[in-house]
Amino acid sequence: MTHVAHAKPGAHGGGDAHHAPMSFWQKYIFSTDHKIIGIQFLFVSLFFLLVGGLLAMQIRWQLGFPGKPMPGGSILPQTMAPGGVILPEYYIQLVTMHGTFMVFFAIMPLLVGVYANFLIPLKIGAHDMAFPRINMWSFWLALLAGLIMFAGFFVPDGAPRAGWTMYAPLSARPDLSGVGVAQKLWSVSIVVLGLSSVMGSVNYITTVINHRAPGMTWFRIPLSVWALFITAILGVLALPVLQGAAIMLLFDQSLGTHFFDPVAGGQALLWQHLFWFFGHPEVYILILPAMGMVSEIIANGSRKPIFGYHSMVFAIIGIAFLGWIVWGHHMFMSGMNPTLGSTFMVSTLLIAVPSAIKVFNWMGTMWRGNLRFHVPMLNAVGFVSMFTIGGLSGIFMAATPVDIPLHDTQFIVAHIHYVLFGGSLFALFGAITFWYPKMFGRMMSEPLGKVHFWLTFITYNMTFFPMHIIGMGGQMRRIYDPTIYDFLKPQQPLNVFISYSAFALFAVQLLFAFNFLWSLKFGKKAPQNPWDDNGLEWSLPNPAPHGNWEKTPNVYRGPYEFSSPEAEARGTDFLPQSLKLPTDHDPLPAPLPATH
Amino acid sequence: MTHATQTLDQMRPPFPAETGSGVYSKKLGMWVFLASDVMFFTALIGSYIILRFGMSTPWAKPGAVLNVPLTGVNTFLLICSSVAMVKAYAAIADGKKYFLRKVPGKTLQDGGLKFWLLVTILCGAAFVSIQVVEYIKLIGEGFTPAGYREGSLLAEHAAADPIKYGLGVAGMYGSTFFTMTGFHGFHVTCGVISMLYLYFTKVLPEKYSPQDYAGIEIIGLYWHFVDLVWIILFTIVYLI
Amino acid sequence: MTTPTTTHVRPNYMLIWLYLFVMTIAEVLLAFELPVSRNLKLILLLILALWKAMLVALFFMHLKFERWRLRIIFIVPLPLAAILITAAIMEKVF
Repeated sequence: MTHVAHAKPGAHGGGDAHHAPMSFWQKYIFSTDHKIIGIQFLFVSLFFLLVGGLLAMQIRWQLGFPGKPMPGGSILPQTMAPGGVILPEYYIQLVTMHGTFMVFFAIMPLLVGVYANFLIPLKIGAHDMAFPRINMWSFWLALLAGLIMFAGFFVPDGAPRAGWTMYAPLSARPDLSGVGVAQKLWSVSIVVLGLSSVMGSVNYITTVINHRAPGMTWFRIPLSVWALFITAILGVLALPVLQGAAIMLLFDQSLGTHFFDPVAGGQALLWQHLFWFFGHPEVYILILPAMGMVSEIIANGSRKPIFGYHSMVFAIIGIAFLGWIVWGHHMFMSGMNPTLGSTFMVSTLLIAVPSAIKVFNWMGTMWRGNLRFHVPMLNAVGFVSMFTIGGLSGIFMAATPVDIPLHDTQFIVAHIHYVLFGGSLFALFGAITFWYPKMFGRMMSEPLGKVHFWLTFITYNMTFFPMHIIGMGGQMRRIYDPTIYDFLKPQQPLNVFISYSAFALFAVQLLFAFNFLWSLKFGKKAPQNPWDDNGLEWSLPNPAPHGNWEKTPNVYRGPYEFSSPEAEARGTDFLPQSLKLPTDHDPLPAPLPATH
Repeated sequence: MTHATQTLDQMRPPFPAETGSGVYSKKLGMWVFLASDVMFFTALIGSYIILRFGMSTPWAKPGAVLNVPLTGVNTFLLICSSVAMVKAYAAIADGKKYFLRKVPGKTLQDGGLKFWLLVTILCGAAFVSIQVVEYIKLIGEGFTPAGYREGSLLAEHAAADPIKYGLGVAGMYGSTFFTMTGFHGFHVTCGVISMLYLYFTKVLPEKYSPQDYAGIEIIGLYWHFVDLVWIILFTIVYLI
Repeated sequence: MTTPTTTHVRPNYMLIWLYLFVMTIAEVLLAFELPVSRNLKLILLLILALWKAMLVALFFMHLKFERWRLRIIFIVPLPLAAILITAAIMEKVF
C-alpha cells in the first residue's frame, strides 16, 4: 500500500486528499486509522476501568464493614448478596474479577492499546501502522475478549473465583471452585485477548523498525516509543505462553485432561510456572509504557533534555531482559525447589538497578529545570514518587526470607497498587491530559485537572499506604472477613479507614471522568502545540488528520532539545524534531533493502 | 517511469525511511509472529517435557499406542509439502507463473508456481486428513485426552501389560498428545486454508510476479515453521 | 511489497529434501531397531530432530542467507523456552 501523498491546496483538511470520502462506519467504527483505533481502545478501556473500580468499591465495603448490608446492594442478585450482604462466594468473584479486569482490560489496553497505537506512528513520522487492517482486528478482538470476560458475571454460578492468577487445580475443577461456565469463558477470553495483543505487538514492532522517517535514527526515537517498542517485544513473547496455559486449563475442565491435577499425575506448580513466566513480563508491560510517557512529560515540564537518554534506553532494555528470569519471586511460598528460590531472589534484586537508574534520571531531569507544573507534570512527578515507594516495597519482597511472612498478605496488595495505580494510573492521567489535544483538538480543564490530581494523590495514599501496615500485621489477601481472626481484630479500624479513603478516592475520579467527557465538547480549543513540545506529533494540526503527514517529515535532531543554545537563539526554549534550522542538512533517504 | 525505477520504488517501504530491518514489512511481521508462535508451542511442548520428566512411572513405550509407521508416512508428506513450498517460492522468483512447461532437453516437465503450490496444498491437506483419521482411530480404540477409556480395547491391553502401555500415566499421555498434535494440526489447517485462498485469488489469476511475490514468501515462512514444529513433535511424541 | 532478488546461489532444495528423508528413516530405525541404551537413544534422537529443524530453518526459510537482524528474531525465543523448561523441570529433582 503506497501512500504517495500529493499536496492539494485548498482540498480537504490536511492529508485526506488521497482517500475517497469514507462513510461514518468506515471512518469511526471499522477504522483502520491508528489514531481512531487508539481512541476506540481509550473509551473501551476507561469503561473497564470503571467496572474494575466498582468491583473494588464492593471489596472495600466488605473488608471495612464485614457482613453489613451494602448501600445499593439490593440490585445484586439474591444468590450473591441477599439483602445487600455480600456472600463469601460473591466476594471471591469480586476479588478475582477486579484483578482480571484491571490488569487485562483496563491498564494493559490503556497503556498499550491506546498509546502504542496512537503515539508510535505520530512520533516516528509514519502515515500509519505497518498493518492497518490487522490493527483494526486487534481492537475488535480485544473488545470481544472483554465482553466474553464480562459475560462471566451473568452465567450460572457467576464469575471465576480462583483469583486473577487462576491457580490450578482450584481453577480447573468446578467441584473445587464452584464455577463451571465462567471459568471456560475466562480461558476463551484470555486466548482471544492474547491473539489481539500479539497482533498489536507485531504491528508495533514492525512499524518502529521499518517505518521511521528519515533522520529518525534509533537514538533519536522518543523514550515513549522505545518503551512501547520494548513492551511490544515482551508482549509478543509472553502472551502466547499464557494462551497455552489457558488452553490447557480449558482442556482440564472440558476434555478431561489432567495437566494441573496432581491426583491424576499433573502438576499444580506447572500452572504457576507457566502463569508467572507470562505474568512477570506482563507487569513490565504494565509499567514500561508508563515510564516512557512519564519521561516525555517530565522533560517537557522541566524544559530540559532527559538526563541520561542513552542510559534510559538501556535501562528499559535491561528491565525487559531481566524480567524474563525473575518470575519465581511470585512463587517463593509455593513449595518449589529452594535452589530455584535463591536464583530468583538474586535476579529480582538485580532488577531494581535499572529501575533505580530511571528514577534518578527523572530526578536529574527535573534538577534545576525551568519547571512548569502543568497537570501532566503533576501526575508524572506523582508517578515517580509513588512508583519509588512501590519499588521499595518490592525490594522487601524480593528477599525470600522477608517474603515468607509477607506473601499473600495485604503488603503485596499495597505493592501491586503502588506500582499499578500510583505508577501506571497516575502516568495515564498525565498521558491522557497531555495527548488529549492531539486526540480531540481540545484541552482538558487545567484547574479541574489540578484539583483531581491533588485529591487523588491524598486519598490514594490514605487508601493504600496503610495496607503495608495491615499486611505486616498479618492480614491475608482475598479473605472475606478479617475479623474472624483474633490477631487481626485490632487492625480493623485501619480497614475501616482504608475503606472510607477508597470511597473518597473513587468519588474523586468522577472529577476526571467529568473533565474528560465535558472537555470533548466544551474544552478550550487547543493550539497546535499547547505544551511547547518537541515531538513530531505536535507539527500536525489538532486533532491529527487521517494519514498524518502529507509528506513524510525529515528529522533533524533528538527528541529532547529543550533550552539548548540553538533554541535560545530562536527565542524559545524548545526545538521540534522536524524543524529545519539553516545549519541543518536534510537526512539522506535510506538505502534500498539489501538483496541477499 | 521505467520498469527499473518502478521496481526500485516498489522495493522500498511505502515511503523513505531509516534502514530498519532491511526487509519489507510483511516479511518482518511474519518473522515476529513466528517468534510468538515459538513461545506458544513452548508452553505446550514445554509442559509435555516438564510433566513427562516429572513422572515417577514411565510413559508408554513408543509405538505401543500410536501408529508410528502411519505417522512416519505423514511426516514424509509434510516434508514433501515443505520442499514443494520452497520450490514454489523459487519458481515465482524466477518468474515461472505457469503450471507445467516442457523444457527442451529435459525429460521431466518444469513446474511453475501453480504446480508446486498445488502440490504443497495437496500434501498439507493429506497430512491433516491422515491425522484426523488417526485421531478417530485412536479415540475409537480408547485413547482419549483423559487417558485410556474404561472398557475400551486399549484399556484391556494396558491392564494386561501396564509397563508397555504406561498405565499409570495414561492420563498425562493422552492430555499432552492430543493438545500438542491437535494445535499443530490446527496450524497446518490454517496454513492450508490460507494457501487455498492465495491460490484462487492471486496464483491462478497470475497476480504474482518476480517483482512482487511477498504473499508466497510469507506463507512459505509460516509453512516451513509448521513443518519445523512437526519435526520436533514427531521425534519427541512418537519416537521417545 | 516486493522481495529483493536473490544474489546468493540458491541451495539445492531437493538435496535438502533427501537429507530430511534419510534422517527421518534413521530416526525411526534408531527408535525401534537399534539396541542402544535409552539415554543415548534419547540424545541421538534429539540431535537428529534438531538437525532436521535447523536444515528447514536455514535453507527452506532462507535464514542462512538473511542478515543477523532477521535471524535474531527467531533465535530470541529459544533461550527463553530453555529457561522456562529447565526451571520447571527442577521441581522433579527437588
